[in-house]
Amino acid sequence: MLARAAGRILQTLAVLLIVSIASFSLLKLAPGDPVVLMLGTEFSQDSYDDLQAQLGLDQPVVIQYVRWLGDFATGNWGNSYVAKTDIFDFVVKEALPVTLTLTACAIILAIVIGVPLGVMSAVRKDTFWDAGIAALALTGTAFPSFFLGIVLIWFFAVKVGFFPVMGFVPPWEDFWQGMLHLVLPSFTLATFFIGMIVRVTRAAMVEVLDQPYITAAIARGEPRRRVIWVHAFRNILMPLVTVIGLQLGAILQGAVLTETVFSLPGLGQMLTGAVLGREYVLVQAGVMLTATLFILVNLAVDLSYPFLDPRLRAR
Amino acid sequence: MQDHKDILARHVAARLGRRTILKGMGAGMIAATTGGAFPAMAQAAQSGHIKIGEIKPIDTLDPHFTFRLGAVQIISNICNGLLKVVYDGTTVTFEPDLAATWDLEDEKTHAFTLHPGVMFHDGTPCDAEAIKFNLMRVKSGTPASPHAWKLEKLEEVEIIDPLTFKLHFSEPYAFLPVALTGSIGRAGTIVSPAAVEKYGEDFGRNPVGTGPFKFVSWKENDSIELVANTEYFEAGLPKLEKVSFMIIDEPSTALAALISGQIDGMNDCPMQLIEQVKKMPNLNVYGGVEGNYTYVGMNTQKPPFDDVNLRRAVAFAIDRDAVLKQAYFGLAKQAYTPISPPMSGFYDPDIAQSGRGQFYDLEKAKEFRAKAANQDEIEVTYIMTENPPAGTRVAQIVAPMLAEIGIKVKLELLENAAWTQRLQDRDFEMLDFFWTADLDPDETLYPEFKTDGSWNYWGWSNADFDRLCAEAQVILDVAARSKLYNEAEDLMVDEAPVAMLAHFPLYKIFSNKVQGFNYVPCDLLNLNTVSLA
Repeated sequence: MLARAAGRILQTLAVLLIVSIASFSLLKLAPGDPVVLMLGTEFSQDSYDDLQAQLGLDQPVVIQYVRWLGDFATGNWGNSYVAKTDIFDFVVKEALPVTLTLTACAIILAIVIGVPLGVMSAVRKDTFWDAGIAALALTGTAFPSFFLGIVLIWFFAVKVGFFPVMGFVPPWEDFWQGMLHLVLPSFTLATFFIGMIVRVTRAAMVEVLDQPYITAAIARGEPRRRVIWVHAFRNILMPLVTVIGLQLGAILQGAVLTETVFSLPGLGQMLTGAVLGREYVLVQAGVMLTATLFILVNLAVDLSYPFLDPRLRAR
Repeated sequence: MQDHKDILARHVAARLGRRTILKGMGAGMIAATTGGAFPAMAQAAQSGHIKIGEIKPIDTLDPHFTFRLGAVQIISNICNGLLKVVYDGTTVTFEPDLAATWDLEDEKTHAFTLHPGVMFHDGTPCDAEAIKFNLMRVKSGTPASPHAWKLEKLEEVEIIDPLTFKLHFSEPYAFLPVALTGSIGRAGTIVSPAAVEKYGEDFGRNPVGTGPFKFVSWKENDSIELVANTEYFEAGLPKLEKVSFMIIDEPSTALAALISGQIDGMNDCPMQLIEQVKKMPNLNVYGGVEGNYTYVGMNTQKPPFDDVNLRRAVAFAIDRDAVLKQAYFGLAKQAYTPISPPMSGFYDPDIAQSGRGQFYDLEKAKEFRAKAANQDEIEVTYIMTENPPAGTRVAQIVAPMLAEIGIKVKLELLENAAWTQRLQDRDFEMLDFFWTADLDPDETLYPEFKTDGSWNYWGWSNADFDRLCAEAQVILDVAARSKLYNEAEDLMVDEAPVAMLAHFPLYKIFSNKVQGFNYVPCDLLNLNTVSLA
């Protein structure tokens, strides 16, 4: 088991290296001189030379890459050209906590709503409930999050006035205000995910419920609730955790739109602003950080398998 | 020998209007008699916290380095200029702001007297030394200010005493009133020298001026907070105690926040939302056509648009009514030339009937098309991006119109950065764009169309145009300047490096709790006179 884990960690490091080359190269290959793009239409040769030197873009590409990777790994991400603030502080201390809070709330909401619906759908297979839940799941998956966000804002924030339209209050500073600000964006972000979880839970559960040990448990006269939530549910955890891990990328992607619609100062909004403001260094840091997060979550998912399925511990 | 008194009278009358001169003289007399007592009179009780949805991007709050009008809107509430832009509902004028008096000693020498006792928010005095520091920071500071060109002709700042100084120019400089404003001009915005020294490169995140509001904080992607400057030098102002600019990227979210009462105003509202907003009884819309123009640009340096007749054909083939209705929701005004209506003194009010400029005339377009060297169907690439104010709508509307004159348009949608690069590299045949102008034809026409001008992406060149604009730059008399600019723009629109489309409106929205907002048609959001009911 340990050898497998070590191998998986090495594999992750290799992937991270490839991702770092890709995100470094992608911005190199993107059309336009980053210095010109950052300076806009009005600039002097002096400011061009200054910025080029400041970004290290006058150095050979390999040196630029090695220096950039080293700086990234040690948390020395430089200063934002526009905001003049430390990028590490801005990204990791300000933007990341917002996105992680939003993402965590969305995942919890998706699990709390999606798993019971999926289980219910499987247990009542081929009934009206099953069809209804399937339709709901499909609608949730198909609804574009930016549109849903605006609809939710207009109904729950403007018409009914239950929730704030926008902004972020850290829940660790004011829990209730923070939660009120997070309800609509979390639900918007969770909608796609809920549909996905319902479908995966249902499929896995249907398969498990057909297994002989479930029939045996029922035959033993164990209560129905125990059969479903203890015997069957334990065995669908693996596909469920896998899908949650794999969907993190989609969630981070959705966070970009959700943060923009609800004006939350997270990674998504920061990245959008950086791309529009042509903040080359900030875009690189943001892309690398989100890719790293995604890869690390997948590693964590992989490493969690032996804990979810004892049979894997023996291998 | 020149009659300087006469030049001064005509120049200042054209710029300021009679009432303002009297007001300026009055202010000068009060300043002279009351000495340092003036700011003390200004103190007022402030109340109310206004929250504004900030839709436009902000780069830096350092006025001498910003490229963004969203930033200028905030800076104008923190800093004053030597002059300011004033709008009386019909005419735009440039009036003294930090300067109590502004005198023209001769065509190349401007004498200023400052309001006495004005202090920066950090407690340092706003005196002639501070003004000199600011002007030299723009003109020749390191790093170089992008607005340095506005003070290129400035030779010397002569300090007479702490409140009096003279600006000596190498030649008469007609654009100066715009350059010296604390808003659109930016070169004349005055900041605290002590704060610049203290914060260095971080000054743009810690701006210190003399304005009605003091900067408190800037939380990235969240909000910018200001509080009232209780020592502000203008009597009775500001009226608000606190201002928050809530940074919101999505206009419909800002509108929802405004309707639900979470914010009190929006600094910008897209045209597509305006009709909806006008129907809402609790909201007030301020805005109109401003100093700007939109156009279809053509690369005159390579085929097919190196052919003047083909460009003329394009200019006359575009049905502006359709463009105004479909791309600008019927809210913009047709542009015949670059000079827009708020440029009082230069805009030709009869232009719709005079036959000057460019307009839709398909017959004329076909005549020019028939004169073009290439009589086959011509295929051109038209690069488009999501630029404000009309996104890709203009390109899509114009393309079938050009098919009428045998020009087959291939639309190429680009990401904004790639589009900008193609524009700068002149790697295009056709595109549409807009220009926000500083309310003076010098900046509206010259850098965009002079030979090798920094923003002449079209590569167009006409020696007579260059000469007329250069002459107009050093003439202070508005009527004489206007005549030269009209001649210059006639040459430009005739050779059509661009096909003019529209002058577009910009809108600010406030809830009806907000009172006392003075609209100025150059995208300003001055909150000094605003109060909350």
